[in-house]
Amino acid sequence: MSQAAAVHKRTAPVIGRAAVVETATTDPPWLRARRDEAWSIYQATPMPSTRSEEWRYTDLARKLRLDELVVADGDRGPGAGAGTVLPDALRQTMDQDRDGAGRIVEVDGKVVSVELDESLARQGVELASLRDAARQGDGDIQRLLATEAVPASDGKFPALNAALWSDGVFLRIPRGVHVERPIRLSRWVSRPGNATFTRILIVAETSSRLSFVEEILSPDFDRTTLVNSAVEVFARGGAQVQYVSLQRLGHGGFYLANQRTLAERDSTLDTLNVALGGSVGRVDLNARLLGPGANSDMLGLYFGDTEQHFDFNTSQDHVSPSAHSDLLYKGALDGSARGVFRGIIRVHEGAQGTDAYQTNRNLILSDDAIATSLPNLEIEADDVRCSHGATVGQLDAEALFYLMSRGLTRGKAERLVVLGFLGEVLARLPMGGVVEKVTNAIVAKLRNV
Amino acid sequence: MDNAPILNVAALRAKVADEDLEILKGVDLTIKPGEIHAIMGPNGSGKSTLAKVIAGHPAYEPTGGSVYFGGEDLLDMEPDERAQAGVFMAFQYPVEIPGVSIANFLRTALRARLEEDEELDLFDFQELLMDRMELLEMDPSFAQRPVNDGFSGGEKKRNEILQMAVLKPSLAVMDETDSGLDIDALKIVANGVNTLKRESPGKSVLLITHYQRILNHISPDVVHVMVDGRIVESGGPEVALELEARGYEEYRKAHAA
Ligand SMILES: Nc1ncnc2c1ncn2[C@@H]1O[C@H](COP(=O)(O)OP(=O)(O)OP(=O)(O)O)[C@@H](O)[C@H]1O
Ligand SMILES: [Mg+2]
Repeated sequence: MSQAAAVHKRTAPVIGRAAVVETATTDPPWLRARRDEAWSIYQATPMPSTRSEEWRYTDLARKLRLDELVVADGDRGPGAGAGTVLPDALRQTMDQDRDGAGRIVEVDGKVVSVELDESLARQGVELASLRDAARQGDGDIQRLLATEAVPASDGKFPALNAALWSDGVFLRIPRGVHVERPIRLSRWVSRPGNATFTRILIVAETSSRLSFVEEILSPDFDRTTLVNSAVEVFARGGAQVQYVSLQRLGHGGFYLANQRTLAERDSTLDTLNVALGGSVGRVDLNARLLGPGANSDMLGLYFGDTEQHFDFNTSQDHVSPSAHSDLLYKGALDGSARGVFRGIIRVHEGAQGTDAYQTNRNLILSDDAIATSLPNLEIEADDVRCSHGATVGQLDAEALFYLMSRGLTRGKAERLVVLGFLGEVLARLPMGGVVEKVTNAIVAKLRNV
Repeated sequence: MDNAPILNVAALRAKVADEDLEILKGVDLTIKPGEIHAIMGPNGSGKSTLAKVIAGHPAYEPTGGSVYFGGEDLLDMEPDERAQAGVFMAFQYPVEIPGVSIANFLRTALRARLEEDEELDLFDFQELLMDRMELLEMDPSFAQRPVNDGFSGGEKKRNEILQMAVLKPSLAVMDETDSGLDIDALKIVANGVNTLKRESPGKSVLLITHYQRILNHISPDVVHVMVDGRIVESGGPEVALELEARGYEEYRKAHAA
């Protein structure tokens, strides 16, 4: 009995140097060194507090106890790894993704399966477990992993992720290759009280085309369960990339994501963040416009109820002149949910001819729901076109009456208004399957309203 | 029982819900199945308020009198129940519903009318919608546009008539649907209303307007004049012609006296 307990203890490390060492055992030396360095940065970096502007509305001290979490690793878990039986909820949602050109499944922080259309593989498209690809010594990975996009030096959680990441996705589209149907990542988190650290590294070479859809699911948890990801997306000259994240964790899920997109000359790098699940969701998204003609549409949609807390911290960095970015985040909040949006457009010195827009709109459905919106501009160039706007409003009584006067019950009228409000975001990125899936998830949530 | 009124408004009084401001001060109005009534009256006389009280707008509180629709006490019903019973109001100022397409909206509205176990045949719906849009000379792409969002004044009005044409109410209250329409659009809308009347002669219309010209296209059985929250005169189409010539001054004076 005491032996079993000891085994359990060894297989369930807390967040600490021992976990870093254990995670790194099979890594190549460069990666081990990178993890060590990241861990040092993590230790030297204070936990973000509400005293800092960027964390003012998400009190980590109250909401997240890192020392109570156990580091997840699918390798160690019972039944994990190849041949894992996928839970029904994951199966169901994957069945709706039949159109995928590639599919990768991650369970408790470990990739359990990878499929890619043969024709794409023949054209040189690479879709792999990030861990496997890193071990095989891919040069791009060594060069780009946690260096340019989301380095450990970015902050407490980027450092923690760079030290402890267990697996993730590596996706590279060769020059000129068009992947017409989306590549899907389905992630499942099953263990209450675990902390999962994964990464996504996407490289779209010159003039390539790609859509990538990530969906995260879990059951409800009786305690805080952390899901941390670092997402690094590179669009080389003229590439067209869409990155979509659907966060549908269960109760107790604490989602923390650092996403950075780097858009080079004449590339398009669009993102969509959908937050529907979990108890707390915090996304830090930084879009960097690095070449003239680069374009990023940044879309976000959140719908909170009960005591859900969603916090988006976005930035649009116009480093290069003559680039374009347009952000639209819309949220509906019911129950005593809280939505926070903090966004900044930074037009760097010399970035003339910048076009940058930022809009955040919130719909408050109950007396106890709160939306906080903090749009911001920082302009160090002239000849720029920038605008930002934020609104927090309630359901329009005239609109409800209008719909009711056509025979819709109050409930149906409210649902239609909310769906229309949020649907405007999806209409901007009309990706087959995603719109339907998200709409259905919203409708399911609205039924509880 | 053919002669039983479809709408019977008796001594109706109504005020603004959260203010001590009475707007309707005893309105009497009886409409029989198949009849077309017109209400004319100066700005601010209470015409839209009457329409909204009939439709059940929560901004107004009935304080006296009654409104019966067929045998049902409308004032006891929610706006959606009134719509289900067959009341329709074309808004003077139609409301924008961003992100909700006309097709989706009308589908939802038609579904709301079905019994629990009934299903809307989407093919039939599509056919009906396209047919009605053709009648109103609307481009089919219109069906995919969000309701009233970014519509021109005339497009909004036409959209109201489209909804009426799809929902086929027993009583359509049209609040200044003719205002803001150009001459061609006016004819199209009038033609729409007349076609519906031809299809189902039992349907009734209450037309609120400032202009005699629409009455050249949709000929009313009865014309009422509303001044300061009351109907002060009712008669045949000649009432509208007289108004056009003389204005409301006499009524105002008579009323003030
Ligand atoms: N919600 C409200 N709050 C305050 N006053 C109101 C409200 N609704 C209507 N009124 C007032 O009641 C009066 C009648 O308004 P109503 O809109 O019914 O007039 P109307 O006859 O339709 O005028 P018009 O020909 O200009 O459309 C007006 O003086 C108007 O200002
Ligand atoms: Mg009016």
